[in-house]
Amino acid sequence: MGNFFSFTHILAFVERDLRKFMRNPLSILSNVLLPIVYLLVIGNSFQGTLKKLPLGVVNQDQGPFSKKVLNRLNALESGPNTIHLSLYSDAKDAENAVREGGLKGAVMIPPHFSKDVSRGTMPEIGLILDNTDAVSAAALEQAIGEAFSYLHVDTISIRPDREQPQLRLLELYRKLDYDASIVPGAVVMAIFMGTMTTGAFNLVMDRFLGVHESYLSTPLTKGELVLGILISGVLVTTLVALVVLGAGVLLTGLQVAGGLSSFLAALLIIILTATGLLSMMCIFLARVDHPRIVGLFGGFLNIIFFFPSGAVYPVESFPDWLHAFSRINPESYAVHALKTILFKGMSWPALKEDLLFLSGFMILMMLISTRIYKRTL
Amino acid sequence: MEKITPASAVSVQNLVKQYGNLSAVDHMSFDVSAGTCFGSLGPNGAGKTTLIRILSGLIKPSSGQAWVKGIDISKYPEIVRRHIGVVSQAMTTDLDLTGRENLDIYARYFNTEKKMRTRRIVELLERIGLTDRADDLVATYSGGMRRRLEIARGLIHRPSILFLDEPTIGLDPQSRRVVWELLQEFRQDEELTIFLTTHYMDEADILCEQIAIIDHGKVVVLDTPEGLKKNIPGENIIDVTIEHKKEILSTENQTELPHIDMLTSKLSGFTFVQDVSQKKLETRSSLIALQIYVTNGVASIPVLMNQFQTWGYQVHTIGLKQASLEDVFIHYTGKSIRKEEGQKVNFFIGAGVPRKMG
Ligand SMILES: Nc1ncnc2c1ncn2[C@@H]1O[C@H](COP(=O)(O)OP(=O)(O)OP(=O)(O)O)[C@@H](O)[C@H]1O
Ligand SMILES: [Mg+2]
Repeated sequence: MGNFFSFTHILAFVERDLRKFMRNPLSILSNVLLPIVYLLVIGNSFQGTLKKLPLGVVNQDQGPFSKKVLNRLNALESGPNTIHLSLYSDAKDAENAVREGGLKGAVMIPPHFSKDVSRGTMPEIGLILDNTDAVSAAALEQAIGEAFSYLHVDTISIRPDREQPQLRLLELYRKLDYDASIVPGAVVMAIFMGTMTTGAFNLVMDRFLGVHESYLSTPLTKGELVLGILISGVLVTTLVALVVLGAGVLLTGLQVAGGLSSFLAALLIIILTATGLLSMMCIFLARVDHPRIVGLFGGFLNIIFFFPSGAVYPVESFPDWLHAFSRINPESYAVHALKTILFKGMSWPALKEDLLFLSGFMILMMLISTRIYKRTL
Repeated sequence: MEKITPASAVSVQNLVKQYGNLSAVDHMSFDVSAGTCFGSLGPNGAGKTTLIRILSGLIKPSSGQAWVKGIDISKYPEIVRRHIGVVSQAMTTDLDLTGRENLDIYARYFNTEKKMRTRRIVELLERIGLTDRADDLVATYSGGMRRRLEIARGLIHRPSILFLDEPTIGLDPQSRRVVWELLQEFRQDEELTIFLTTHYMDEADILCEQIAIIDHGKVVVLDTPEGLKKNIPGENIIDVTIEHKKEILSTENQTELPHIDMLTSKLSGFTFVQDVSQKKLETRSSLIALQIYVTNGVASIPVLMNQFQTWGYQVHTIGLKQASLEDVFIHYTGKSIRKEEGQKVNFFIGAGVPRKMG
């Protein structure tokens, strides 16, 4: 039944697996490289704030206020570097450049702009946007709007309005770059990669090669076989996840909050998540005997688990159905826990829910996987 | 009820394994005495592997019972596994491990204690002649070396029964002889019961005290090699290939096949003819291959040659030989086992990792 375990048996089975890994270091290397490449590419392509958006400017006004607008825009270019300005003399040219994709937008300052401002008769600035690129368009609209409103405040009222409530920002934590903010996601991806290429995958390979016949005719019990495969899988996966965590911290310059306690907590989360996911794979792959199926399955599961985990985008903004899924997605809890530990420092109360869920998930998956493991050919 | 006579190492009663409509093992019953070598001999698909897999607890029988060392394999497979060694048809040693590692890890599955284990490994490596290659990866071994390693692995925990599924398949004649010698040595030194399957006559003849010829999942006949040879009628066998002259002239007339039954009954009219059986030929050719079991070989050849001529047949080949196990096999199953060998090339796949069928 598998309620009797022999350590000798389990250790021998684990050793067999680990030795095979040691002889094939390439398979582990790819587990490390993929999350790191992912971190570098995604981290640097989806920046938190957009930069260097090409913006055309057509100034048809000679008055002082258009100068102020231009100064504002120049400040935006040299400061946060949100835009990259180019001057156009012809409005038509600028519009065409937007249509052809050379510019993300163009600002039109009409001839009577300064006059309108000083008279207070609804001064207008035209903004042509390539709204097929929704992300850039929204960013430009916001940036130009702000530049314009400063101008407005400057001219209309000299002193700040005392009636108007002011927004004062209180940042709780150290400022975090976007690429650093997805380090926990990369670690969880490394765990997932590990669970796809160790553990149950090795069982599938054994079945595919017919090698499982050799150990099925020995006294190894069901429980010993499942535990052995989980232990070797967790060891390798944890190692992979730690390497990715280390590389992520170094590459993004993430300053980890807290010292040893944070590290131990992160290790605990990694082990719980890895064991849970590895057991889950043992269930899914219990009857699979071809590695190609694992590949198909892995790509599919990675998308299902990873993107709704909050690793790249906050789960709160998901539509209801996806949000509901993210609440039963173990990777959500792993990402949340790792974010908490790495960015905010170790704190048990903040981790309680994650730890409870991940432990529960792990125990459930281990029970089911041992149950359904097929100890015959 | 569990215990069968202690002398039986393996005992099988009405064993059936059904795959859909196909009976891979079809009501088999036999006993194997402890300390002997038992061979189950059969062509491709006879059910040899299926039988061994049931006996080693790898698959469950559909019905019937099997005891190994008197223990019911369906009820206590985990106890049976402690006492048996299995060398399966497909090679199953780990290619990414060295020979020594393969043996060491396997021994630990049987809780063999460290000191004993190390000694046993050294001893086995020496006997199979792999001492100097022990620390090389199995991936670098030749087929024969790997097969010897598999046999050593099956014996690592000093089992009392060793199951071997086609132990010399894919080996050259010299390596086969090495394996036979190994098995005979181990049998003598370790009081081993050997249960092997094979489709090589000579292998069964040399190694086994009891041979069960199986075909289509059934035990066709079970006897000692000598008994089997004695069983076939006549002392000599005449192998003859003939072709009807009409067939030679009009090849398009393929539908009307030669009249075997008529030929057989005509031949049986001779007092020196004990039995006639037809060898199945692969092609749809008009050739007829017959085995004629006769009492006085040399004298009967000219008589038969003449007769075939007068009946309108042309004799292509004719030969005389002493009865061997090969002929026993043909006698009982109607097929030549050698012909099957050619189809066994891809034994890696043929060993059948069981897959669900539709
Ligand atoms: N898992 C399975 N599903 C369906 N049919 C099977 C399965 N395993 C074996 N069989 C069938 O059972 C029969 C016996 O197969 P088995 O492998 O026991 O033959 P064998 O005597 O070992 O042959 P060989 O000499 O080729 O190894 C064959 O017809 C085979 O197709
Ligand atoms: Mg077979």
